[in-house]
Amino acid sequence: MMNDTPEMVKKVFAIFVVGILIVGFFMAFTQMPKANAVNVNNTVSRFYVMKDVDQATEMLDKGTYFNKDMVPLRNDVPYTPITFGKSANLEDGAANVVTSIVVDYRGFDTLGEVTVLFLAASGVMLVLHGQKRKIPKKRTEPSEIMYVGTRIAFAVILLFGIYVFIHGHLTPGGGFPGGAIIASGILGLFLGKQGYSPNKSGLTIFESLSGMAYVVIGIIGLIGEKSFLANFLPTGTIGDLFSAGFIALIYIAIGMKVGSELSAVTNAMIIDTEDD
Amino acid sequence: MITLFSTLLVILIIAGGFVAIFSKKLLSSVISMGLVSLGVSGLFFFLQAPDVAITEAAIGAGLSTAIFIIAIKKVQKGGTSDDE
Repeated sequence: MMNDTPEMVKKVFAIFVVGILIVGFFMAFTQMPKANAVNVNNTVSRFYVMKDVDQATEMLDKGTYFNKDMVPLRNDVPYTPITFGKSANLEDGAANVVTSIVVDYRGFDTLGEVTVLFLAASGVMLVLHGQKRKIPKKRTEPSEIMYVGTRIAFAVILLFGIYVFIHGHLTPGGGFPGGAIIASGILGLFLGKQGYSPNKSGLTIFESLSGMAYVVIGIIGLIGEKSFLANFLPTGTIGDLFSAGFIALIYIAIGMKVGSELSAVTNAMIIDTEDD
Repeated sequence: MITLFSTLLVILIIAGGFVAIFSKKLLSSVISMGLVSLGVSGLFFFLQAPDVAITEAAIGAGLSTAIFIIAIKKVQKGGTSDDE
């Protein structure tokens, strides 16, 4: 079909493409329009503007937060210290600041991150899918101790992974490390028994459902709070397990998704390796 | 104390990196890369970034090392003939 097009058309098309590329290249040198200057002092906390932890701590200790020498920030909002276990109904309510930014304020970013991981896993599965497993004859079976030991260790590792992603808003961790911990537990199961194979369709269904749950939570926010992935649950007391709204829900979804995805990738790699 | 630990970790990371580059065996390269990840994860922990430290320990030192080893096994099997 392409061979039938005359040479002239091809040349014109090539010149057109090259022209667009050249224009795009020189557009990089044009001057960017100047943005309006924003006075940061009026929008963010003074602790952020200061960027000096020692000075901030000193000011908090001495109680000189509202010093007369400094211009007060946000006169309408009085400074109230946040106490662990006492402060309630905060804006976000997560004890772990990193989580509150990653899941709450930048929730859409995290959805993109999950999508990137999903695409990477899809690529691996696309390349390695469809290999048939043959149990090799020469290999020696792992011993009974290995078999029982990996199974017991898997239970503990699974529990720890679930702990990491359920407590994502309280302690360091979250959905991605929790899922990776669960996947490394499943890797241990592969080592324990020759020819071990997890329930593949179960992994797929689990992964799809948890990925859908993330988007559904976002759409509930869109309906309830007029913004995609908005926090629609009460934030509760800081430091409680049931606090920080929907962060725990989203991290449960992410943890299950990442765990099943990485397990499926490991499964595909190992099955392909053992195939002769 | 933290300075001492951090210095030791940095030395471990640099040594692991050199082993990973100059080792003749691919397997020891991969293992020392896992060691580098472990050191980096400890360093993250000392630098007040426990979230990244947990992720680095789980993915860098755990899963990616295992997947590299599986890949090396697969490549070596394809490179040589049917002999194991």
